[in-house]
Amino acid sequence: MRNRRKWLALLAAVASLSLVAAACSNDDNGGGSGSTGSSGTTAQDLSGTITISGSSTVQPITSLVAELFNEDVSSDVSITVDGPGTGDGFVLFCDGETDISDASRPIDPKEEAPVCQQNGIEYIELAVAFDGITVMTNPANGDVTCLNKGDLYSLFGPESDGIDTWDGADSLAQQVGGTDNFPSAPLEITAPGTESGTYDAFIELAGIEDTALSQGVPEDQAATLRTDYHSSPDDNAIITAMEGSDTPLGFVGFAFAENAGDQVKILQVDGGDGCIEPTRDTIADQSYPLSRTLYIYVNKAKVSDPAIKAFVDYYLSDSGIVDAVQQTGYVDLPSDQIESSRSTWTSASGGTGATGSS
Amino acid sequence: MSLVAEADTRTAVNLALTGRRRHLGGMLFRFGLLATLLLALAILLVLLVSTLIEAWPVLSTRGWGFVTSDSSSLSERAGVWQGLVGSLILVGFVAAIALPIGVAAAIYLQEYTRDTRTSRILIANIRNLAGVPAVVYGILGLVVFVKALSAITGPDSHGRSYISGGLTLAVLVMPIVILITMEALRAVPPAIREGAYGVGATRWEVVRSHVLPNAAPGIFTGAILAMARAFGETAPLLLVGAVTGYFSSASGRTPLEVLQGPYTALPTQIFSFAKLPANEWQPNTAAAIIVLLVAILLVNFLAILLRNRYERTW
Amino acid sequence: MSATATSRQPITLEVMRGSKRRHRKERAVRTFFQAAAFLGLVISIAIVLTLIGEAIRWLFDIQLGWLWTGGWIPRSNQFDLLTIFAGTVMVAVIAMLVATPLGLGAAAYLSEYATPRTRRTLKPILETLASIPSVVLGYFALQVINPDLVRKIFASAGTFNYLAAGLAVGILTIPLVASVAEDAMHAVPNALREGAYGIGARRMTVTLRVVFPAAVSGIVASLILGFSRAVGETMVVAIAAGATGSAERTLNPLDGGQTMTGAIASLAIGSDQVRGSGFAFDSLYFVGLLLFALTFLLNVVSERFVRRVRSRY
Repeated sequence: MRNRRKWLALLAAVASLSLVAAACSNDDNGGGSGSTGSSGTTAQDLSGTITISGSSTVQPITSLVAELFNEDVSSDVSITVDGPGTGDGFVLFCDGETDISDASRPIDPKEEAPVCQQNGIEYIELAVAFDGITVMTNPANGDVTCLNKGDLYSLFGPESDGIDTWDGADSLAQQVGGTDNFPSAPLEITAPGTESGTYDAFIELAGIEDTALSQGVPEDQAATLRTDYHSSPDDNAIITAMEGSDTPLGFVGFAFAENAGDQVKILQVDGGDGCIEPTRDTIADQSYPLSRTLYIYVNKAKVSDPAIKAFVDYYLSDSGIVDAVQQTGYVDLPSDQIESSRSTWTSASGGTGATGSS
Repeated sequence: MSLVAEADTRTAVNLALTGRRRHLGGMLFRFGLLATLLLALAILLVLLVSTLIEAWPVLSTRGWGFVTSDSSSLSERAGVWQGLVGSLILVGFVAAIALPIGVAAAIYLQEYTRDTRTSRILIANIRNLAGVPAVVYGILGLVVFVKALSAITGPDSHGRSYISGGLTLAVLVMPIVILITMEALRAVPPAIREGAYGVGATRWEVVRSHVLPNAAPGIFTGAILAMARAFGETAPLLLVGAVTGYFSSASGRTPLEVLQGPYTALPTQIFSFAKLPANEWQPNTAAAIIVLLVAILLVNFLAILLRNRYERTW
Repeated sequence: MSATATSRQPITLEVMRGSKRRHRKERAVRTFFQAAAFLGLVISIAIVLTLIGEAIRWLFDIQLGWLWTGGWIPRSNQFDLLTIFAGTVMVAVIAMLVATPLGLGAAAYLSEYATPRTRRTLKPILETLASIPSVVLGYFALQVINPDLVRKIFASAGTFNYLAAGLAVGILTIPLVASVAEDAMHAVPNALREGAYGIGARRMTVTLRVVFPAAVSGIVASLILGFSRAVGETMVVAIAAGATGSAERTLNPLDGGQTMTGAIASLAIGSDQVRGSGFAFDSLYFVGLLLFALTFLLNVVSERFVRRVRSRY
C-alpha cells in the first residue's frame, strides 16, 4: 500500500507540475501588458491569435515585428509566424487558414488570386521592404565574379538539366548571349524550390521565361528552372551548402547572404548596365537587376479584429517597416513607398476601402 | 572443441617453459574488446565536451536567462523557455495517459491471461509496435489527432496543439511501458502470488497487494525511462505540428485554451535553431542541447540509481 | 476482507463462494485491464488502416511511372522510390558498420571480461548513450563529424552527406546492439563455459568458440534490431544528410540526399495543407507505409531469432 501511495504521489506530482507549467507559461509573457505602443493603441484589452505564414524570406522581418509588438504593445496577443514558402503560404491564406501571408513576390493573378476569389477571401497587399536576390558561390571560386542574364539562363534555366560542370553550360550560354568562359569545375546548385517566392521572383527578374520561349522551350515549361538541383525551402541550408564544394552555385535573399559574411562569395549581376554588386544602395535604388519588393497580404475580413488591426498598424509604423526591416538586414523602402503602403492600409482598414488588392 | 583446448593447453605449457606468462593473442583480444567499449564511451565524451565548448559563450554570459527567455528572432535574446515548458507539459500528458493504460495492459497480459493464441498475438503485436519508427506514429497522429479530431484537439489551431502532440507521444511510448512493466511483473516469483491466493484473495487483490508493490521499483524506473524517451522525441512532433518558426503565447488563457493552442518542445526548438545561420546561432543551438541533455541525463541517471538501489534479488 | 468463518457460524456454500461485491469488483477490474490490452491492438490496426488507406488513394491518383525517375523530387512529380530506398539502406549499412564492431565488442567485454564492479559502472554509461536524443546526434554530425572527420578524409564530400549521417546513426545504434547482444551472451549457461575452462581453454577461446556460437541467435537478433532502428531514424538524416525538397538517385555515400524517413519529415515540415502542389504531400503516406512494412518485417525476423535463444535454454 505504501508503494501505491508513492505511485499516486508521483502521478500527482507530474500532473501538478504540468499544470503549474501551463499556468507559468501564461504568466510568463504577462510582463508588459500595459506599455504604450508607438502607434498609441489601447494596449490593455487586446487579445486573440494571429496566424501568419508564407515566405521564408519575409519571415525574419515578420517574426521580429511580432516580437516587438508583443513587447511594446500587447503581450496578450498570441502570434505564430511560419515560413514554408510564398506559394504554400498563399494556399493557406486563400483557404482562410492564415490571417496574414508573407510573400516575396506578388500574388499570382492567374493561379492564386482566383482561388482566393472563389473562397471569398479579399486581401490587402502591402509592400514592406526591398530585397535583392543574391547569387552566390564559394569564396574559393576565383574564376567567376559576374554573371549576366544569359549566364543565369544557361546555368539555371529549364534547358540545363544534366549540366554538371560550369563549362558544360558554355555552349548554351553562347546561344543566349552569355559570357562563355566558365571554369572547368563541377557545378553543384542549391537553391529554393518551387514552393518558394524567391524561385518565382528569380525566374521573373532574370528573364528566364522570355529567353526560354525564344529558345523554343514549350510554354508550360518556360517559366521553370532545371529540376536536377538540390532544392531546399530552408535558406540557411542553402548558405551552408555553399561551403560544401569549391565551386557551388545558389541564390537566396540578400539578408541571408549578407549575414553569411565570408562563408559565401556574392556574385555581381549584369542586367545590361554592367556588373552590379548587390548592396543596400543598389537594391534601394533598384539598380541591382535582381531587386524585388517584399509584401504582406492581409485578409480583409480580419481587419475588424482589433488585434490584427493593431498588429498591422505596428508593422507599418516606423518600428516595423523601418527599424525591424533594417535590423534583420533587409533594405527599407523609400519614404514615398512607405507612405503609399500606409495610405493603402488606412483606407482599407479605416472603413470603406478599396476592395481587393492595391 | 577439444582440439582447440588441447592447443590451448599446449600453448600454456609452452609459455611456462619459455618463461612468458601471458598469451599475446589473448591479451590483444581482450584489449581489443576493451578498446571498442572505451571507444563508444569516448565518442559520448567528445559529443558532450564539444557541445559544452560551443555552448559556453551563451551559458556563461546569459546563464539561467537563456533557459527562461522566449524564442526570438535575435540570437542574443532567444531562449528555450517555451520549449522547456512545452516538453514538460507533453511529458505530463504522456504520464497521465500512457502510464495508467500501459500498466493496466501489462497487468492483464502478464497476470490475467494464460499462454493462449490470443495472448501471444497481443504480446507479439505490442513488441512490433515498440519497434515502429517514431515518424510513423507522427503520421498516425497527423491523420487521427490533427485532422480528424481537430475539433477536440484544437479548434483554433487546426488541431496542432498540445493535445495532439501529447496523445501522439503517449501512443508512441505505450508499448515500451507495457513491455517494461511486463518484465517487472515477470520478475516477481510465483511464490509471492501463491501465498496470497492461498488465503483466498481474488486475482486483483493478489496483484494489488502482493505483486504490484514488489514490482513497483521496476515499473517506476521503466516509467521514468519512457518519460525520458518522450522528452527527447522530435520527429513525431514535427509531423503533428509543433511550431518551428516564431510564436508567442498570450497570457491569461485558461488551461484548456493553452492545451488547445500552438506549442513547441525542446527538441523541436533545437531543430529550428540548428537550421538558422550557423555563425550566429550555433552557440544557442549548443546551449539548448546542453539543457536537453542535462534534463534527460539527470532523469536517466535517477532511474538507474533507483533501479540499482531497489533492485530485488529473490 | 470477506467474512471469515467464525467458530459460531457454519461454513455454507454461500460463505465459500465469497462476497458478491468482491467478485463484481474483480470482474470490473479485469474488464478494464482487458480493454487496455486490446487498445494496443486497436492502435496497430489504426496505424495500418490509415497508412494503407491514404497510400492507396495516392497511388491511384498518380501515374505509376512517377515512381521510377531520376530522383526524389516530389514537387516535380518525381517520386523515385529507389532514391530514397537506396538512401535508407546506405545510411543503415554505414550505421551497422559502426555499431556492429563497437556494439558486439562492448557486449563481449561486459559479459565475459568485466568484473562486476566494472560492469556496474560501465553499463549505466552505455545506457546513457542510449538516451541521447537523435536531434542532438544530428547536430553533432553536421557540426563535428562532417567537418572534422569525413571531409578531412574525403575532400569531395559535401556539407550534407550520407556518410556523416550514417556514422551518427551508428553511434545511436551502438547501445541497442550492445544491450541485446550482451543479454544473449550473459544468458549462456555457465555450465558451458565451465566445461570449456575445465579442459584448459583460455578466456578468448571460450568467448569465441563457446559463448558466441551459443548466443548467435541473440547476436543476430541484436544486429537486425540495430538495422531496423537505423532504418527508422529520422532526425539525424533530416539535419545532416541534406534532407531537402529533392534528391538525385545516387549510390555515393559522399553525396547528400534523402532517406525514406527524411522524405516524410521534409514533406511534413513543408506545409501539410498544400495539396495544390500536385501530389507531393500525400506521398508521405505511401513512404510511411513502406517504412512501416520494412521495419515490421525486420522486427518479425529478429523475433524469430530471439525466440530461438529462449527456447534453447
